[in-house]
Amino acid sequence: MITIKNLQKVYKGITAVDIEHLTIEAGEVIGLLGNNGSGKTTLFRLMMDLIRADTGEILSKEKQVTTTDDWKKYTSAYIDEGFLIDYLTPEEYFYFVGKLHQLTPTDVDDFLVSYYTFFNDAILGKGKYIRDFSKGNQFKIGIVAALLTKPEFLILDEPFANLDPTTQLRLVDMIKELATEKKMCIILSSHDITHVAEVSSRILLMEKGKIIKDITGGETAYAEMVEYFKVKIN
Amino acid sequence: MTLSIFLQHQWLNFWRSRNASKSVFFQIIIGIFYLLVFVEIAGLGISLPYILAESFPAKDPIFLFCSYIIYYFLIGLIIRFQLQELPTLSIQPYLTQNIKRSYMLRFLNVRSFLHFINFLPIFIFIPFTVVDIVPIYGVPVAVSFLVAMFALVVNNHFLNMYIKRKSVNSSWWFLGMVLFIAAIKGLDYFKVLSFEQTSAWLFIYLLQHSWLCAIAILLAVTTFFLNNNYLKSNLYLEELVRERKLKLSKSYSFLNKYGDMGTMIVLDLKLIFRNKRPKSLMIMSSLILLYGFIIYPKNLQADNYYMAFFGAQMITGIFIVNYGQFLFAWQSSHFDGIMSYNINMKQYLKAKFLLLVTVSTIQFLLVSFYGLLDWKVIPIQVAAYLFNIGINSFLIMYMATYNYKYLNITKSASMNRQGMGSTQIIEGILIAFVPTLIFFLLNKFTGFWPTIAVISILGIAGLLFRPNIINWLADQFQVRKHKILEGFRER
Repeated sequence: MITIKNLQKVYKGITAVDIEHLTIEAGEVIGLLGNNGSGKTTLFRLMMDLIRADTGEILSKEKQVTTTDDWKKYTSAYIDEGFLIDYLTPEEYFYFVGKLHQLTPTDVDDFLVSYYTFFNDAILGKGKYIRDFSKGNQFKIGIVAALLTKPEFLILDEPFANLDPTTQLRLVDMIKELATEKKMCIILSSHDITHVAEVSSRILLMEKGKIIKDITGGETAYAEMVEYFKVKIN
Repeated sequence: MTLSIFLQHQWLNFWRSRNASKSVFFQIIIGIFYLLVFVEIAGLGISLPYILAESFPAKDPIFLFCSYIIYYFLIGLIIRFQLQELPTLSIQPYLTQNIKRSYMLRFLNVRSFLHFINFLPIFIFIPFTVVDIVPIYGVPVAVSFLVAMFALVVNNHFLNMYIKRKSVNSSWWFLGMVLFIAAIKGLDYFKVLSFEQTSAWLFIYLLQHSWLCAIAILLAVTTFFLNNNYLKSNLYLEELVRERKLKLSKSYSFLNKYGDMGTMIVLDLKLIFRNKRPKSLMIMSSLILLYGFIIYPKNLQADNYYMAFFGAQMITGIFIVNYGQFLFAWQSSHFDGIMSYNINMKQYLKAKFLLLVTVSTIQFLLVSFYGLLDWKVIPIQVAAYLFNIGINSFLIMYMATYNYKYLNITKSASMNRQGMGSTQIIEGILIAFVPTLIFFLLNKFTGFWPTIAVISILGIAGLLFRPNIINWLADQFQVRKHKILEGFRER
């Protein structure tokens, strides 16, 4: 699905991302782990051509993300509020995003039915603009809008950070389901080792822009991560 | 914690804010601009007594001056309503600190008062008082008159703050006040009730009975405490920040027929009508339609066609220039999103262009009634309109690809230089004066009709090459895309 070659991004002498080679296959759920400033968000932005790389390239389905727009058709992302059009109501926003993928309002409504519990009755039909919602609820709107377009590749930046405990657990289930049933390729970053261990089929540890560990998910993954971060403390 | 620290923070905030451009060039330009405005107002104020004496030698200058004081304060209230911002949000970081409420109140009051509009009266009232009142009424009366005037300024200031805090939707209040004053002027015009007479009588009475300035002081104190007490009991963020009404969503469904372009335009319309800054731009774009009354008659009589053309350009092009210069910046808060959605850049640009043209066309059609003043207005407006949509629109869109500054569209536009940079200034000059210069030169050497023809043809040519230009613009955008994105992320 994604191939990264010799990717480098340097900000004022500090290396933000430095990845020699990385491939992500369809159907994988990748947990990206790393302390603050390790380059996770920068990597995500690079994947969507929102930042210009200094060197190297990113191929999405064998096509450069910098030269074509093709990836936009099957890629969805939620990184921060900068992805939401905050003067729209959630419904309007969903219809807008749906329309860009040739979904009619009815299609969108049908889709939203299955997310009623996820929204916990706090989002739809409130007559409020997105900017007036709490950060957690904005995050929910962003995630559902990203799923709405039935992407093949989904990018989520710290999806667990702003959610309440119930929704966090629901999201864990949702991600697992999307990966197994829809064969969706998902890459998500998080600071929560437990959640990452639970959803990921593969875990990447990032430090100073480099991928320093590539762990296959499973029983031992959690122990391996704890080991790594503990060492860091000492 | 004292007031001075608050004010010092405000000072730092002013100079360190993102929108205070880092470029020295721009700061100097802005500095010169402020200085010019300042000097102009001071000069006007000082020369006002002489202007009055010269223009109306038969009339008593004091009578003349006094007959406009009521208007001054009424119009002042309107202008304040547009220009002055409530300094409420600036206290947010202090609310949880160990600071007494009374300090914060004092800060809010003082901070709100530090606005250039409150310093203008110095230049209007003091020179007049010294030149005209002192010789006739003597110094004590003059002082009491000044005290009364400044008390009324304070009154106006806090009254405006109070109304602003109480009012929900500023545009309607604004329009209401404009209509109110128009009505007053109307009554005056039809000699039903003369406000000028009333005003003159009132303030001359004040001069004759100078103790009456106590009433003005009382008025000022009352509005101050009205405002203060309201603030005191509402010093909670949620109550200070204007409550938003539950908005019923307009669907603009008729536009949905037009596919992706329609979707994009609907999005832009929502952006315009749901955010403060573009909304005030719309109000401005409609008010400027009246500009023709000022600029057409005298210039057409004197055959100054180029000035009429300048006016026509402003009237039919103000939206293009003002909306166009922030073409992408309007969406700067979610431009990351826009760039990752499934949007084709050419479609996007086409939709933006269509919006600019549509609004300009509406303006153009609305102002065709100026033809009743003088039929020559029509060809001038046609040429200006065609040039605006065919040339200026693309120029502005091109220049917008050099605008890397984040824009907070929920803040009011007046006196707000956020998102402005030296490029915008150059842009303004280019768009406003170059076409007029071309018109002037052509008109001088070839005559009226050839000029109209050439300018119109230029505009039409731009429209004909539209597909090519849009493609080129998309390429230009692509070149600077990452820089724009990076700039917008810096808030």
